[in-house]
Amino acid sequence: MKPSDSNKNDIILKEHVYDGIQEYDQKLPNWWLFTLYITIVWFVFAWVAYYQLPFKMPTPHEKIDSQMALIENKKQEELETMMASINNESLQEMSLDMDHTASGQAIFEAKCIACHGQDLSAMMGGIKLPGVALIDDEWLYGAEPLNIMEIVTNGSPDVTKGMIAWNTQLSPAEIAQVVAYILSKQS
Amino acid sequence: MTSDSPNSKKVTIEFDDQITRWFMVASIGWGVVAMLVGVLIAFQLNFWQMNGKFFEVITFGYFQTDGIQYLTFGRLRPLHTNAAIFAFVGNMMFAGVYYSTQRLCLTRMFSDKLSKIHFWGWQSIIVFAAITLPAGLTRGKEYAELIWPINIMVVVIWVVFALNFFLTLKIRREKSLYVALWFYIATIITVAMLYIVNHLQIPTSLTHAYPVFAGVQDALVQWWYGHNAVAFFLTTPILGIMYYFLPKAANRPVYSYRLSIVHFWSLVFIYIWAGPHHLLNTALPQWLQMLGVFFSLMLWAPSWGGMLNGLLTLRGAWDKLRTEPVIKFFVVGITFYGMSTFEGPLLSIPTVSALAHYTDWIIGHVHSGTLGWNGFMAAGMFYWLAPRLWGKKLWSTNLANMHFWIGLVGILLYVSSLWFAGIIQGLMLNETDATGTRVVNEFVQTVDKISLLMLVRAVGGTLYLVGFVLLVVNIWKTARSGAPVNETREVFEDPAMKKDAMTWKAAFRNEPIALTFWGLFFGILWFFLPPGASHMALLVTLGFVAYAVIQFKKNTQSWSSWYDNLSENYLPFSVLVLIAVVLGGAIQIIPTVTVNRAMNVEDRLQSVYTPLELAGRDIYISEGCYNCHSQMIRTLVPDVLRYGDYSRLGESIYDHPFQWGSKRTGPDLAREGGKRSDSWHYLHMRNPRMNPGSRMPAYPWLFQKETKFKDLPAKVAVQQRLGVPFPIMTPEEIEQHAREQALGIAEGLVAEQVKIEVPKGEKEPGNEAEARDHLAGKEIIAIIAYLQKLGSFEEVVPDDAPEKIEPRIFKPGIPDKQRVKAPSAPAVTSLPDVQPTLATQP
Repeated sequence: MKPSDSNKNDIILKEHVYDGIQEYDQKLPNWWLFTLYITIVWFVFAWVAYYQLPFKMPTPHEKIDSQMALIENKKQEELETMMASINNESLQEMSLDMDHTASGQAIFEAKCIACHGQDLSAMMGGIKLPGVALIDDEWLYGAEPLNIMEIVTNGSPDVTKGMIAWNTQLSPAEIAQVVAYILSKQS
Repeated sequence: MTSDSPNSKKVTIEFDDQITRWFMVASIGWGVVAMLVGVLIAFQLNFWQMNGKFFEVITFGYFQTDGIQYLTFGRLRPLHTNAAIFAFVGNMMFAGVYYSTQRLCLTRMFSDKLSKIHFWGWQSIIVFAAITLPAGLTRGKEYAELIWPINIMVVVIWVVFALNFFLTLKIRREKSLYVALWFYIATIITVAMLYIVNHLQIPTSLTHAYPVFAGVQDALVQWWYGHNAVAFFLTTPILGIMYYFLPKAANRPVYSYRLSIVHFWSLVFIYIWAGPHHLLNTALPQWLQMLGVFFSLMLWAPSWGGMLNGLLTLRGAWDKLRTEPVIKFFVVGITFYGMSTFEGPLLSIPTVSALAHYTDWIIGHVHSGTLGWNGFMAAGMFYWLAPRLWGKKLWSTNLANMHFWIGLVGILLYVSSLWFAGIIQGLMLNETDATGTRVVNEFVQTVDKISLLMLVRAVGGTLYLVGFVLLVVNIWKTARSGAPVNETREVFEDPAMKKDAMTWKAAFRNEPIALTFWGLFFGILWFFLPPGASHMALLVTLGFVAYAVIQFKKNTQSWSSWYDNLSENYLPFSVLVLIAVVLGGAIQIIPTVTVNRAMNVEDRLQSVYTPLELAGRDIYISEGCYNCHSQMIRTLVPDVLRYGDYSRLGESIYDHPFQWGSKRTGPDLAREGGKRSDSWHYLHMRNPRMNPGSRMPAYPWLFQKETKFKDLPAKVAVQQRLGVPFPIMTPEEIEQHAREQALGIAEGLVAEQVKIEVPKGEKEPGNEAEARDHLAGKEIIAIIAYLQKLGSFEEVVPDDAPEKIEPRIFKPGIPDKQRVKAPSAPAVTSLPDVQPTLATQP
């Protein structure tokens, strides 16, 4: 039976039988066909727009580079503003302020106790943790509050043997609070 | 096949149903194992104690351990995926293929002996896999973890299967090939191609080899394989099974023959191209990512064609949905197929992928495919087959219904909890503070947040397993109450039947093929020609498309009779399938693997590993760290804020195999090196709970097992053959170098007063030197060396401004504007001296 011979709305049942299975030969659903066509047209359109038209779209790398440049600038500004407003004395004062030390403690417990211990002794259940004790009188990189601030911000000179830089995770204000908390624990 | 042909003679066939029974029982048995392991590893994600410590409880404290190496998530997850894919679905597929092929060809299988070799070969492969994977013998590539001797077995057994199948087609008594057979043909051909290419490797020992591809090349080949393992191992054979068993069970004609044709050919052609959507926003060249995205979108309709042909076949038989468990399973299975093939293109949109990739959403997505589509199609088929294979009614329809409902609730809990988990975790990972300059949540906090959802997933999986156990009982009871039956059938054979009579010329030199060929030819030129010429190529392609449409309208009759004729000729048909599935992979992979590697580094070149670091890397792979940790920082702000500068192509160029990963249950490690101290890693591997809330298993055995320094010369030699610029060293020098570096790290750790564990009965080290010598040989030192190396690179200064490079004709990857030309990789002449790492801290 030729398709053209039959009425368009007739459903064709193919004669052939495979192990009892027969097949209709229904028209393809239009919405299905259009889904297929639209995705193909979209591919051609997008590829041409992206690669083969004169204007240049930014690549993912260019995009991320410019986004990160903005973020770096912002962070630098933030740090400069903060550093202009604090000094050794103001950090010492913060260490007497319960509001600051409480926030500092919360941050310390989330980020620092893995290496420095809950009680700042760098010991956990008799095992020496990777960090140094923060309650003895020994300061490897200077005992002034700003020295401590520097180490928390940028990490120790050789990270594989010491402190990591926290400026990627903590804002300067938060770092100051952590420093205040540590100072408040000094006897 | 009718009896009215004058010369036909009556023959009696006894079908080989024994082989179907075997494969079916094997599938059910391995299915239970695969799901059991799945449930265990799901609970491991909530309770780290499930990685072995639970032995302390069940032996009442007799057996003291923090973890058992054979039971960690990293080693068992590959066992789960391989068992589910190759053992459960694999055996199910073979059961369905052997049963339906014999009936669609009206002949017994070509050779019972080949069938038996196939069965026993496949089961022994699975047994070897079940032994080697927990033992930590792995290739470190997902769904391709099995080691090289097993790979060879797989290839041999697959060829046996292929031979048996194609020779059965050759001796068939049915003139033309039914659509189910098209799907089986595509499966056999494509899986062979994918498997062989992704398993090219050079052995270093009987149990270890390095893949020939590295870095981006390995990533591309792996996901071409991984994606199409889903396509051609978990989809096409099951579609074939659907086309046979669904009309049989519903007793209705298939909805549309032409839909079968269109969706079959579009599916097999388009599927192959979509692999790169597993690598969106990574260092993979942009043109490949774009192809992956757009072909994934184009794949939506072809996939739904299969669903439509399944569901619409049930028109007029929907009442059976109430009474027939088989139909219930099929309908829900096909619906899940539709759902996950809609979800797939959705997840391939780069912005969606940015949120969902590396999260549990993807795990949910694959399980809606495997539990919903594969698992329920398998159950429907088993319930339909059991009465026919054992000659007794199904033992209990009620029990089958109960299986259906328990299983369905299980899948829904599983999939929906992971939607939420994935989206919540994705959003939390991306959350920044008010200034937008820092991410606010620690990685471990984001995992904590979804704890409950992960537990719901584990419960969902358990329910699904419970449902499956009901199937085991039901089939067991049915088999016990009946006895194995092999169907015999009388058919009329017409010796004059003209099957396989088409000449190659008739098959290939005709209008539809010619137009498709030229259309594709110019379409490919459109990708690769330089600007200007590419526009011309596109116009010519469009011209061919328009002309083809006109010719098709005009010559519909001759086009369709050519196709009907083609489906009576299995060899030309198979060759066309081969061409359709080769194209996509060839166009993506050949340019990427043939391009000069030095051209492919962007601005950074990975530093070559030292021998000890290489040993550490192999331990990292062997422990399956890549199952939870990626090494690929995407070009996305939250990724860069959290982990550091985005990964460049050159930074994994010497990685055989690549370790970009596909799931983050822990943080990315691409720039882990130098972030923390050696002693931090030492303590953390022993007790990850130093980071409160961590789910990582403890690795106590790394502190006991010795690094295999003796294996290093063979490994370095193979790496050199693969083009990694290791300096020329004698085997003694390699070993010596590794030992010295290990001593340095051990000395630093001893100075930091780390706790040194010695097995019971051995003597404690008496002084620092003894402690150092004890520690230096342990695997933990090698793995620390590797972790500290991650992310180290050399800057590559382009000797030429990128603008000056004119795209050459046919130069692959020309669309990628970010590429810069780099000088050829500098040969490393000597390794950096090992720094004595004795702690110099005051």
